[in-house]
Amino acid sequence: MTGGTYRRVVIELFRHPKNRGPLHDAAASAEGANPLCGDRIRVELGGDRSRVTEARFTADACALCIASASLLTERIRGMSAEDALRVDTAWLFASLEGEPPAARRKCAILPLDTLRRAVVALPLA
Amino acid sequence: MGNKYGLIDPADPAFRDESEVALATLVSATAGSSKKIGAKMIVGRSGRIIGGVTIGGCVDAQVVEAADALFDKDDAERRLLSISLDDDEAWEIGLTCGGTLEVLLTRVDLGATDDSTVVAHREAMELLSAGESAAIVTPIDSGAGAYAVPTDEIGDTSPSERTFIDRIAPPLTLVIVGAGQIAMSLTRMARELDMRTVIVDGRDRYATRERFPEADDVLVGMPSEIVAAIDANRRTAVLLLAHDYKYELPVLRDILRKPVGYIGMLGSKKRGAAMRDLLHDEGFTDEELARVHTPIGLDLGGKAPAEVALSILSEIVAVYSGKRA
Repeated sequence: MTGGTYRRVVIELFRHPKNRGPLHDAAASAEGANPLCGDRIRVELGGDRSRVTEARFTADACALCIASASLLTERIRGMSAEDALRVDTAWLFASLEGEPPAARRKCAILPLDTLRRAVVALPLA
Repeated sequence: MGNKYGLIDPADPAFRDESEVALATLVSATAGSSKKIGAKMIVGRSGRIIGGVTIGGCVDAQVVEAADALFDKDDAERRLLSISLDDDEAWEIGLTCGGTLEVLLTRVDLGATDDSTVVAHREAMELLSAGESAAIVTPIDSGAGAYAVPTDEIGDTSPSERTFIDRIAPPLTLVIVGAGQIAMSLTRMARELDMRTVIVDGRDRYATRERFPEADDVLVGMPSEIVAAIDANRRTAVLLLAHDYKYELPVLRDILRKPVGYIGMLGSKKRGAAMRDLLHDEGFTDEELARVHTPIGLDLGGKAPAEVALSILSEIVAVYSGKRA
């Protein structure tokens, strides 16, 4: 991830994230935190295992974490749970246009881990 | 004194073995008095002294003597003391403030459930505990009993004599976001200032009871959600001490539109300006953003955590005393 790309993609999504805010009557939700840096995120999903109809997040987190959450929630809407669980770091880093520095990987991955737990918690169709 | 509101509660352990006390209240001052009008001192019949009506010792000593004299008269319930600060010798060498203080001295029977002062303080406490503001109204000349009213009903009282109205403000609550070293020092100092402290952080290894034994609450979770759930009012000060935009931005988005009395954020002028720019782009007005004190605290020059905590508390005292916007 080059400095310039990092700034453009991540900062744009941090300042104008998609799907930020609570989802009322969510079918499933999960919370995650990075215990030392303090990132905190909640992912809320609508639908069931056959189809994720809605995906939103709430976070007090850094720009990279917010950008990652924005990309991921946008990505899995309309997917089945099975497909959603196949979204991986390779896709995420490609969408962020580069792999984050080692010390910041956990910021990008926290939304992915949290989202996967929310997907697993979706009710059966 | 008494409890967190400065009111007399006969059940308070501070009054154990005390059958009656004299409540002294500073009701007027013609010169630079040392304390605010309403400052209180309690003198116990056993000799116990709690609080003070002035900073120095000479006036308080006179009040203690007057209280002792009140206990010696079976029928005396109340006395208005007029105390001159014009000590001749002190005046001669230029070391007197000059002027006159009036101190209302009221005898309180702690064992009598119908004592008017006990009743008024209990009713005021009930109002404050219910989230209302309260005032205690004390007729001065007639010696009639004191009574409590909600502050917004003070206008309904039409006293026919000199009356002292004591508005009881709930304690300041400091909502501290960021459980670092400055916050640790700050909670200790705030206790001495009778301020409540609520520690908020997303990191459960930082926001612990072990690190914050003096805090009234230690809350771990998403800071912006925790702060949003707090019933904030003018007596609430929000201190952003995490020095991390991940907490500062979401918390500011909430509290900038709430009627809190003070907002302060750790950081340089440059960082503060950048934060304001970001929030300005999101639709916050210059007037709203001007409420954020950053760099936080008065410039005392210190850099150590305790020194920064002192500068923050100094600024908060200045703001709530009307000395600083």
